Amino acid sequence: MSNSCFHCLESVPKGFSATVTIDDTPQPMCCIGCQAVAQNIVEQGMTDYYKYRTVSAGKVDQLVPEQLAFIKSYDNEDIQDEFIATSNNISEVLLSVEGITCAACAWLIEKQLLSLNTVKRVDVNTSTNRAMIQWDKTATPLSEVITALAKIGYKAYPFQADTEAQQKQQTAKAYIRRLGVAGLMTMQVMMFAFAMYFGMFSGMDSNFEQYFRWISLVLASPVILYSALPFLTNAINGLKAKQLNMDLPVSLAIFGAYGASCYATVMQVGEVYFESICMFTFLLLLGKYLEFRARLKASEYTANLQKLLPLTARTLTDSGEELIIAAKKLKLNDVVLIKAGETIPADGELIKGKTTVDESMMTGEHQPVNKFIGHNVYAGCVNHDGVIEIKINKIGQNTLLNQIIRLQHNALTKRPKLVEITDKVAQGFVACLLVFASLTAIGWYQIDPEHAFWITISVLVATCPCALSLAIPTALTCAIASLTKKGILIKQAHVLETLSKLTLFAFDKTGTLTQGKFSLDEVDIIDSHYSKDDVMAIAAMLERFSEHPIATAFDGFTPAKHTLHNIEVHAGLGISAQDETFHYAIGKSGWFDSKKTNAQASLYINKRVVARFYFVDKVKHDAESLIKSLHAQQLTCHMLTGDASDAGNKVAKQLKLDSVQSGCSPKDKQTAVEAFSSQNEVVAMVGDGINDSPVFASAHLSIAMETGADISKNSADVVLLNSDLASIDHLLNIAKQTRRIIKQNLTLSLLYNGSILPLAALGLVAPWMAVIGMSASSIIVICNSLRLLKL
Amino acid sequence: MSIIYILIPIAILFVLIAIGVFFWAVRSEQFSDLNKQGHSILFEDDKEQHNKSND
Repeated sequence: MSNSCFHCLESVPKGFSATVTIDDTPQPMCCIGCQAVAQNIVEQGMTDYYKYRTVSAGKVDQLVPEQLAFIKSYDNEDIQDEFIATSNNISEVLLSVEGITCAACAWLIEKQLLSLNTVKRVDVNTSTNRAMIQWDKTATPLSEVITALAKIGYKAYPFQADTEAQQKQQTAKAYIRRLGVAGLMTMQVMMFAFAMYFGMFSGMDSNFEQYFRWISLVLASPVILYSALPFLTNAINGLKAKQLNMDLPVSLAIFGAYGASCYATVMQVGEVYFESICMFTFLLLLGKYLEFRARLKASEYTANLQKLLPLTARTLTDSGEELIIAAKKLKLNDVVLIKAGETIPADGELIKGKTTVDESMMTGEHQPVNKFIGHNVYAGCVNHDGVIEIKINKIGQNTLLNQIIRLQHNALTKRPKLVEITDKVAQGFVACLLVFASLTAIGWYQIDPEHAFWITISVLVATCPCALSLAIPTALTCAIASLTKKGILIKQAHVLETLSKLTLFAFDKTGTLTQGKFSLDEVDIIDSHYSKDDVMAIAAMLERFSEHPIATAFDGFTPAKHTLHNIEVHAGLGISAQDETFHYAIGKSGWFDSKKTNAQASLYINKRVVARFYFVDKVKHDAESLIKSLHAQQLTCHMLTGDASDAGNKVAKQLKLDSVQSGCSPKDKQTAVEAFSSQNEVVAMVGDGINDSPVFASAHLSIAMETGADISKNSADVVLLNSDLASIDHLLNIAKQTRRIIKQNLTLSLLYNGSILPLAALGLVAPWMAVIGMSASSIIVICNSLRLLKL
Repeated sequence: MSIIYILIPIAILFVLIAIGVFFWAVRSEQFSDLNKQGHSILFEDDKEQHNKSND
């Protein structure tokens, strides 16, 4: 029997033996969680999952009672309003599901949910990790649906798509429909076009030719009037804003040639170009759709994030009774009870108890803040160790959290924009094209008025900027795909272009340049009876029971094996425990002694100090090489940190940054970046906290770390999935390559258009030559772009 | 050759039906996740009932 778990493929720990019989063979399991899930899958007859899955399942944790209680809270009617839509007794909900890895997962989930008789329809999307469920809410509460998913190892929570995400979905669908129509119809038009090409050489009955022209007109019309319509509306919108964009020459060619071909068909004169413009529309739509889809995937990934605020709150009535209500029903002056580990639902003043609060999502600093009676606590922060009661003094839009979010939205509307290269090229191109076309028309009118119109149309078709308009989207699509493979998500189209123009990088400190967690810097042994190893073993043993962020600094040390009892967590102080002979305590310096020290923690044995610990937030190992390489590329590096202490200066000195600004509020960071841009600098902001999200919207380019707050990832242009600073260097590199490829593409396509132009103007280009030339130049451009995939 | 005057409109009718089917497929989310649909043919839907009837 192999010793890796059949369900999650992790190794089975020694001493644990459990098996589940799958397809008549007993298979090993690594934990009770996996065993329960596998057992469920077998009982439901869904073992096909194991046969066809391509990626292993995640390790399963069993649901603890608190999670069950939390899931139950989804049944509250007030909360459900936000994410459940009900019509005709059928409710619809969109769930974000954690742990979907491959198509087999989707099948498993659909199977499991459909086995609940009240579920009418399930649709799992494996690229967005969401499941749409339609079911009868009155017969099965939502919590049962979610528990059914937990039984097969998936964590789910309601997802609420914002309007922007919904719009993107609609756009994606419209693209596919337009593409489908263009594809199917172009095939038919091409078929008749080929018949006519052969007819041209071997002779064709003029009745047939006329008939084929009419058929082509009928088939091409939906392509032009439906699929190509967005080009026309974009061009008109551009003209209204007094801009010549790429869509203008495109629509000129498509609609000009379409109009002329219709006229030719009806009047039985001249040439028809239906096949050229149909194929042109199809190729162009395909290029644009692929680029759009690459970015859609990235933005859907980050939109899949949990809510910042809890859905429910525990209020205390006047008689001291606990009442669970929907958090949005909280009113001013309500008294709310918050237990350890819970998220604070609204801003308020502490009126009972003391605690430490993790405000890292606001300030970016992970050091917990001590809170006593009279202090303010803020919505979205996590209550660490004490049980507290707060009196709500700000709700809804007025909470600090929502103020930060509003700051970000305001900044977004006046975000600096750089002129895109496409538009610059388009302006020159349109001007040249119009001048040349009118010169041809005037010239031929003098020589041969009868042919002037048809030759002008053939100039328009021949110079149709097919390759030119594919030059940029294809290069961007390939670059984005290649970056995604390396864990760098690009969410905005302008990113790669902006990157090559950057002059200045601004960094957040904690979590961006530094690791964002404590690591042990120094141990000071006070009582020489103990060796350093003893001290570390005892400390590690105690800290295993602590949730305090400092505790993670001891993770790397082997804990001592004493049998402990009376383990107690003291809010704001530390943790204490006892074995047969000693009383151990680790916590705040000055807990049992009164000596002044800078040490953040001390270890006490029998209430006498034994050792003191100093912690630092270590600089990431690749930070130094990144800053060096940025400097080598003539980019200045600045630090904007919310930390008011001296730590910022120390890090800046170590990394040789050009300047530091510490103690910044979210607004200060914004002002600093705006000041930089007013000095004509092109600024990239790299950060991770909620406090960075407003400044993200002010900078030309924003880069967020995967380890950061959800909202900052959602608002950033780029997300680094491995939180690795070296990725930034890589990003700059690929941006440079992309720029080179785009330039080559533009040159190639302009070369083609430039060489065919004189021939067309002389009346030497037949429709079939235009089609071949156009396709060949497009294929060359696409192949050139594909080189970016290999980076 | 005049049969072509009838056959081509019939062919166009088929294309229109194809487009109709395609629009329906887009509306019922069949194109939102191409990965899943490709695998769905591998799974046996009636296995569950089979097992239940054995119980």
